[in-house]
Amino acid sequence: MIVEIDNVFKYYNKIPAINGVSLNIEKSERVVVLGPSGCGKTTLLRIIAGFIQPDEGKVTIDGLVVAMTGRCLVEPESRKIGMVFQDIALWPHMSVYGNLEFGLRAKNISREKRNRLIDEMLEKVQMTHFKDASPGDLSGGQQQRIALARALIMQPRILLMDEPLSNLDLDLNLLLRKEILRMQEDLGITMLYVTHDREEAFSLAMRVVLMGHGRIQKIGNADEVSKYLLDLSM
Amino acid sequence: MEYRNRAFIKIVSIGFIFLMTMSGCSQKGAKEVVIYVSTDQIFSEPILRDFEKGTGIKVKAVYDTEETKSTGAMNRLIAEKNNPQADVYWANEPIRAVILKEKGISIPYFSPIAEGIPSSFKDHGGYWTGFSARARVFVVSGEGEAPNSILDYTNEKWRDKAVIANPLFGTTTSWVLALFTIWGDKEAKTFMKRMKANGVKISTSNGESTTLIVNKEFAFSLVDSDDATNVIRDGKSIRQIYPDQEEGGLGTLVLPNVAVLIKGGSNPENGKKLIDYLLSPETERKLAFADCAQIPLRRGVETPPDVKKIGEIKAIRINYEDVAKKLQEIQPFLKEWTGY
Amino acid sequence: MARRYTLLIAVFLLIVIGLAPVIAMFVKSLFIDGKISLASYGMLFQSKREWQLLFNSLLLAGSITFITVLLGVPLGTLLAKTDLPLKRLFTILFVIPLIVPPYILAIAWFYCLGRSGIVAGMFGPKIGAATSQFLFGFPGTLFVMVSTLLPVVIILMATYLRMVNQKLEEAAKLSAGWLLVLKRITIPVIAPGIFLSALIVFILAIGEFGVPSSLRFDVFPVESFVQFSAFYNFNAATAAAIPLGVITLVILIVERLFLRKKTVQFKITKEPIIIVPLKKAKPFLFTAVSILAFIFVIVPVGVLLIKSFSLRAYNEAFAISTNSIFRSLLYASIGATCLVIFGFLLGYLLERKALRFSYAADSIAVFLFALPGTVIGIGLISLWNTHATNFIYASMVIILFGYIAQYMALGERIMAATFSQVSHSMEEAAQIVGVGWVRRLFGILIPLTKRGLIATWLVGFIFCLRDLGITMMVYPPDHDTLPVRIFTLMANSPEEVIAALGVIMVVITFLPLYLLGLVTR
Repeated sequence: MIVEIDNVFKYYNKIPAINGVSLNIEKSERVVVLGPSGCGKTTLLRIIAGFIQPDEGKVTIDGLVVAMTGRCLVEPESRKIGMVFQDIALWPHMSVYGNLEFGLRAKNISREKRNRLIDEMLEKVQMTHFKDASPGDLSGGQQQRIALARALIMQPRILLMDEPLSNLDLDLNLLLRKEILRMQEDLGITMLYVTHDREEAFSLAMRVVLMGHGRIQKIGNADEVSKYLLDLSM
Repeated sequence: MEYRNRAFIKIVSIGFIFLMTMSGCSQKGAKEVVIYVSTDQIFSEPILRDFEKGTGIKVKAVYDTEETKSTGAMNRLIAEKNNPQADVYWANEPIRAVILKEKGISIPYFSPIAEGIPSSFKDHGGYWTGFSARARVFVVSGEGEAPNSILDYTNEKWRDKAVIANPLFGTTTSWVLALFTIWGDKEAKTFMKRMKANGVKISTSNGESTTLIVNKEFAFSLVDSDDATNVIRDGKSIRQIYPDQEEGGLGTLVLPNVAVLIKGGSNPENGKKLIDYLLSPETERKLAFADCAQIPLRRGVETPPDVKKIGEIKAIRINYEDVAKKLQEIQPFLKEWTGY
Repeated sequence: MARRYTLLIAVFLLIVIGLAPVIAMFVKSLFIDGKISLASYGMLFQSKREWQLLFNSLLLAGSITFITVLLGVPLGTLLAKTDLPLKRLFTILFVIPLIVPPYILAIAWFYCLGRSGIVAGMFGPKIGAATSQFLFGFPGTLFVMVSTLLPVVIILMATYLRMVNQKLEEAAKLSAGWLLVLKRITIPVIAPGIFLSALIVFILAIGEFGVPSSLRFDVFPVESFVQFSAFYNFNAATAAAIPLGVITLVILIVERLFLRKKTVQFKITKEPIIIVPLKKAKPFLFTAVSILAFIFVIVPVGVLLIKSFSLRAYNEAFAISTNSIFRSLLYASIGATCLVIFGFLLGYLLERKALRFSYAADSIAVFLFALPGTVIGIGLISLWNTHATNFIYASMVIILFGYIAQYMALGERIMAATFSQVSHSMEEAAQIVGVGWVRRLFGILIPLTKRGLIATWLVGFIFCLRDLGITMMVYPPDHDTLPVRIFTLMANSPEEVIAALGVIMVVITFLPLYLLGLVTR
């Protein structure tokens, strides 16, 4: 088990945003959390990343408790997690190369190895020609690829994706979905993906976690959850 | 990025070393003396430079001015009582020196140089010694009739035509205090009230009073003799009149500069040397010839023609100690009178 | 953890350097002759007079704030965001009154509008009497203070306008004209910045003593001032200063209740800001700005230049102030750098709510900003003037402490408003790829807030350079700065030398600003 979320609660002004959520994620699994905005799915992601702490319950990564009842035991920078942000969050003052390099430098990886890793990664996301470009000069889809590359180059134990495709047009959305799938399968990486888009969720997920009002309402494969939703609407 | 980090660390450490040296530099050296000065910097600084040249002792000064009513020197002397930085205080009038004596901030020093200075301008305990003085004088605009007594402030003839500097500050305070000591509270208060009833205008300082008279916005004002001489030397057409000089008259207030030795200063010996220098006939002469036109307290000191000799002035006979003691007492009255 | 410690150290230093002296003063003011007593405070508000003064202060500060924001927002927008001709020159011009010490500005206006001033000389004594009547009293005080503080709004407007995400404007531009876009999109987006400039103006206005006193409009700070300089009563002076701090804290509470954070908008591109074409309105607006510049700047500065127009005056001015000029520049540069460092950390703390007491730290900083320099100054003396800490008190370090204590709020607030324009995910993205606090600081946060840092440095530099209140109280013997020297020399020095010193003051402020402009272009 890579990630264990154990009965986690999170309150904002005494109102629960996460209301007793437990979830386990297996290695190399693709889990998609599906739910309307405000259901607590992004909060859950940020708790795993370590940007916010659970008020109750605990989070375990690779067998190590990283956060427990309001306390952060392992800082986000030490959790070896990758994340792609909804607003992409590429650093505008660095080139594409600089964006990928920044995390590697923090790990004191040699220049040659850094260069090699970056070249490999850019090839994987088909962005080799944009090494020296500035993020501001890239299109939305290109920015998204770089954001993905930036997360993957660190070889994270789990990749968190916070509605990464929500700002893209449908064609691009479909294309990138395919690429994400391909890369996840190639690299065998564990992935937790958050979206409000059912179709997106069903096409990406091995397991769909349906969330509403801070609780998990249903866990299952695409068919099971889609059936559950259909029943619900009837 | 690493380079930048390193550069940053370098900058920080250089800055740190720099700060250390800066603070190290100001550690006490042997050949220096620290003086706080309340006499206008434009006049006092040259005197201090001369002392430096003559003795090789470095003078470090903190200035403050009565004119702009900065709160520097006096407040610092009081606030620094427990670890005094200053060796000497050069006050522009004796009241401040008396306050320092009362607060236990000064110590006695009888300068051998001070012998020629009349005893009425010295503290008997040696806590302060006067030198070059200023007198309270009228500046009068125009050529017509002129006031010749401070009682003219209450004279119907001069209604709405007179100015006085704010009596909460500077030499004007001393003047009001002097009136309270010689006349008694009741008479002095009546005088002040009548003065106000007569439409006297309150200015922020003696300098401003003078400017108002020069610009003919008002007829006359009681200011310090240096303010008057200064503008007359500048070619402005005003007259300077010593009030109440007639036989049997009240006389006018004469306020000497004073030198005070500070208790617990780091350079007491140099401090004494500096005081000796301030009290010397040489300094009195320089201050007489400078634009502040101060009146030497010694009889023999040479003066320019437009500076009166001390012997020619009929002065109010007062004990500065008594005057200073009045300060606390009449504060509320003054505050109310001014409207502050 | 490292982040926590850095921020804790910054807060700790804020408390030691800034708050401790004031607490020392406050505690002392509660004791009279060794016994607890509220007598110092009992003296406050015992008469109608004090209420009148407080009312005067609030009226004056409120009017100043209203007018500067009313003028400053459109003016700042015109100068920073449009194709107004000569806008660079105008910007420089409008900043000048902030640099000239206010008491010199008041004198310049006196030379000009006084009963025997230049205007009276040109149009006769009747007009002179009228202008003098305008100058002395509420209108004159208001006028001079507005011209002094207008630059604060203009500088901050320019800073924040540069940080607006132009996509927002572009989106709105599709369906609306520029006037509407500016009004509905751009200005609301930088509302926190505008509020900040209003707050700074208000605090500076309500604490100002020099201008109102020389122009005869009685305000509340006079209470504290009189206690200090007429009666040497530190307790009463502290007591009289506390209401100013309290008013400021009330405003802070109002701010927190009613001005909830707007949605954060950051920009990912490096494109320069969109310049609004003025088109037909250009000649009209150019004339309007020229007239304002003429009234607020060219007239008083012209008066100073005319008054000082002789080689002898400048010779003499330099002869008596060379050392002070160098010291001023040195202290102000170091002070501004300290303010940038503290401002960065505390601004981060406030904006990111990184510690539980981020609001408390903010309140302390703003409270200190509102207190008169004399109170902080005396507090610093009573705290640091001991044998053991003589290396601080008897060196320039004490002046830096004073700058940090008094002006910390400026840096903190400018940086907080800057951080509000930087998305949280910028830092989180670095954190998640395993980058620690120090590298995030230098690799992400500092580069992304560069403009804000430069603005903080400039504002800090100007305020340290023009500081009088604190420097006057604490400068070690022989370490005086130019404003202190001008102030102490003003008594009985020739007018032309003082005017020349005022001009020198403007020049030495602009020199480093100009150099910095060249570097960061």
